[in-house]
Amino acid sequence: MIGESILDIFGKALIDSLADQTELVCESEEFYLTRFAENQIHQNMGRSDSTIWCRAIFGKKIGVSRSNDATQEGVSKLIAAAEDIARNQVEDPDFKSLISSPGRSKSIGFYDSTFGFSAKDRADAVVDIVDRARSEALSCAGTFQTSGTSLAVANTLGTSNFARNTEYRFSLTATAKNGRSGWAQAAGRDTDKFDYKAVSQRALDKASFQGEPVELDSGQYTVILEPDAVANFLLFLAFLGFGGKLLHQHRSFMSGKIGEKIMGDNITITEDPFNARIEYLPFDYEGAPKRKVVMVENGIAKAGVYNSYYANLDGTESTGHALPPDNSYGPYPKSMVISPGDKSPEEMIKSTERGIYITRFWYLNFLNPMQTLVTGYTRDGTFLIENGELTKPVVDMRVQQSMLEAFSNVAALSNTERLIPQYGALMLVPFMKIDNFNLAKA
Amino acid sequence: MAQIDKLAVNAVEKALSLGASYADFRHVEIEDESLSFSDGSPESVNRSTDKGFGIRALINGAWGFFGSSVITENEISKAVNKAIEIGKASARLIEAPVELAKVDVYKDDYVSKYEKDPFEISLKEKLAYLTELDGVMAAREELNSRGSHIDFRKTSSIFVSSEGTDVKQKIIQSGVGIDLGISKSRRERASRSFPKNGGQYECKGYELLSEYDFKSEIPRLAEETQALLASEDCPSGIMDVVFEGSVVSLLIHELIGHPLELDRVFGSERNFSGTSFATVDKLGKLQYGSPIINVVSDPTYPHGLASYGYDDEGVKAHKADLIKDGILVGYLSSRETAARINARSTGAMRADSWGNIPIIRITNVNLAPGDSSFEDLISRIDDGLYMSTISSWSPSDDRSSFEFGCEIAWEIKGGKLGQIYKNPTFSGKTVEFWNSVKAIADQSSWKIWGTPNCGKGQPGQNARTAQGASPILVSNVKVGA
Repeated sequence: MIGESILDIFGKALIDSLADQTELVCESEEFYLTRFAENQIHQNMGRSDSTIWCRAIFGKKIGVSRSNDATQEGVSKLIAAAEDIARNQVEDPDFKSLISSPGRSKSIGFYDSTFGFSAKDRADAVVDIVDRARSEALSCAGTFQTSGTSLAVANTLGTSNFARNTEYRFSLTATAKNGRSGWAQAAGRDTDKFDYKAVSQRALDKASFQGEPVELDSGQYTVILEPDAVANFLLFLAFLGFGGKLLHQHRSFMSGKIGEKIMGDNITITEDPFNARIEYLPFDYEGAPKRKVVMVENGIAKAGVYNSYYANLDGTESTGHALPPDNSYGPYPKSMVISPGDKSPEEMIKSTERGIYITRFWYLNFLNPMQTLVTGYTRDGTFLIENGELTKPVVDMRVQQSMLEAFSNVAALSNTERLIPQYGALMLVPFMKIDNFNLAKA
Repeated sequence: MAQIDKLAVNAVEKALSLGASYADFRHVEIEDESLSFSDGSPESVNRSTDKGFGIRALINGAWGFFGSSVITENEISKAVNKAIEIGKASARLIEAPVELAKVDVYKDDYVSKYEKDPFEISLKEKLAYLTELDGVMAAREELNSRGSHIDFRKTSSIFVSSEGTDVKQKIIQSGVGIDLGISKSRRERASRSFPKNGGQYECKGYELLSEYDFKSEIPRLAEETQALLASEDCPSGIMDVVFEGSVVSLLIHELIGHPLELDRVFGSERNFSGTSFATVDKLGKLQYGSPIINVVSDPTYPHGLASYGYDDEGVKAHKADLIKDGILVGYLSSRETAARINARSTGAMRADSWGNIPIIRITNVNLAPGDSSFEDLISRIDDGLYMSTISSWSPSDDRSSFEFGCEIAWEIKGGKLGQIYKNPTFSGKTVEFWNSVKAIADQSSWKIWGTPNCGKGQPGQNARTAQGASPILVSNVKVGA
């Protein structure tokens, strides 16, 4: 993983840049992942890589180039490539300027414990989990990954910033001989705080759940979603609505509804990079400082997240949510938090006369984006709730549900949250009890 | 290149000297160029180069891998040490040492077939192409959103194994596509894309762009988009349906390609992509589809997005039957998984970059054409639907069931296409579905469709796959919710 010295390389390279404005970004990573299945480690890898982007601007013509050559010569070549593209480009009348953000951020979220976690350390944990699983005649498949990431941004307007963090991610599917399965996952910054035994036990317990699976009819059910399932929905909601590009294009479910009620009173969704359990990198891929943004408050649409381009178009300020320069998706929130409620998960189950407990969803996809309608399946731990107790496994069902409608029908939120990884994002979310949730026979 | 060759051989030899029973080294350089217009503005013009190496070692019967983008003798030496360290950690939890199916040794140079190297075409010419395309769409005043993109990739790779294989490959791929839409209100929007959702990608050069006459397609697509806005929702029920070729391509991808990946069958993807209903006890027995269904894996087909000379284990590309006369007869396999069923690897191991380990990926998986014309298929339906252009897909984790959505459907009444319907969806059970295929359109409407974004593996890898298909007629399809 490249250290702060990359800013020296950037500084020298920018002196010779020819464009009116030039920006250099480096994201560097030392990444390890141990993967296991059938109670064996079958894939085990490490990788050291750095991605460098250059954005060169002549007037309103923008050129972007990318490489993974972090040498002084490599960065100079990258600038020349971006300049060549920019010269040949068509003008973008909406482009205003790169940002000037000369202040340095304080790194949060870097832990030596995680950065030094070895292949042997990961294997120790996996061996222990598999030993416990074998004693219950279960088969395990999962991953244990650790990584360190650094981000550096510099431009000709004085922006020069560097930060780094670490992350671990763990996931486990335990499967019984009868085919029933249980899932658990976890993520965080500091492996010293990771209790893999407790997390893995959740998956083992679900796979060992006794009773014959029941096949339920299609219909509307009260469901209790584990945080993993809640995060699956939140990821898709964010795709449809929280980014400044979608808001600017009036394609967001929040377009024209800022200040209006779009979800239940008990739903507050905040983009919170500085949350003590998330500790995201403190600035974005333009070098803009990250800000906390309340996106939905007590069910009322409040705001989206912005990079400088769409902030300019919408007459607001960047919230520090730019993605890398060659993305066309626009700004995106990567550290969302759903505010917790006041019930324990056990109380939520206990208060349910009849319902379905859902661990996670699988292969969600949009059926009608304008209605936030998604389809997908339940997976790896779906149980019937009868008279306040989980009674039997349920044959997995197809989900056909408007997410906004679901978030308007939340009867209860748990007072505990879990940190759930979703692609490049970390989300801190509680359990949710939702009424009138549409499920169909698969 | 000579320097890399020497470093590759040294790396493999070092791995053996440290105790590995097998090792391979890959050096990969990928050049990408993507240009896109959105609503009249140049959304992106990006060029990228990504290069590095990966060393994979089998030690104490288990795999270790390390890759780096710093290509120096010292870094390669450190990477070998790390791969060995990681492999030794893997060996703490194996049931039996990994065995590899035997493979011939090759020394070869492979270059994919193309006419015009897109990286030799000027940026100016490419921008002019998109500007013109955007202008044709802009002339349709009813449209209020439009997008177009062209994409090019050149992959240069070196593979050296401790068994003596030494192959170099250069593969060029191109892609092009448009999408257009009309929003009536914030909640009501219709859109069409062409040649398919996300565009068409093939193993070809710049000549791919001239194969599509967008100018004559755009008026038709604009009219369809407008008609969709005024149309009724697709009716629900059990019906006979003709599916357009690109829809069939994704059905093959999700419901034949993925379930026949042998690593998935053995449970390697249990924690992420899922399992497969097509377990090895069904090999040679399962009536996967009706007797007219014949499917092959064929990376030797020259213009698929998975056309190559060798896979990332050095297995020479070859044709292999997967489904013959409707019966399951083969899998997409690697050397390790093929050995478990005493078979030859079908050469399906690919990594999406130097920095990831190869895993089994869908190749060019092609459904053989039938003997009916497309018009025949339509004329055989008295009361049914024709669906085109996938817009949504969701298979179950073992691929035994699914729900898909399309951009557009047409009523078929008395063997003729009728009114347009919006939001068509269909669902079913995989084996039942393929066994309900009554007719397949002939070679004249067969095409190999590229899928440039197939996700699998942990860490996630994005593979480029292809599926050859022509339209099919399927009876008793469950349409709608």
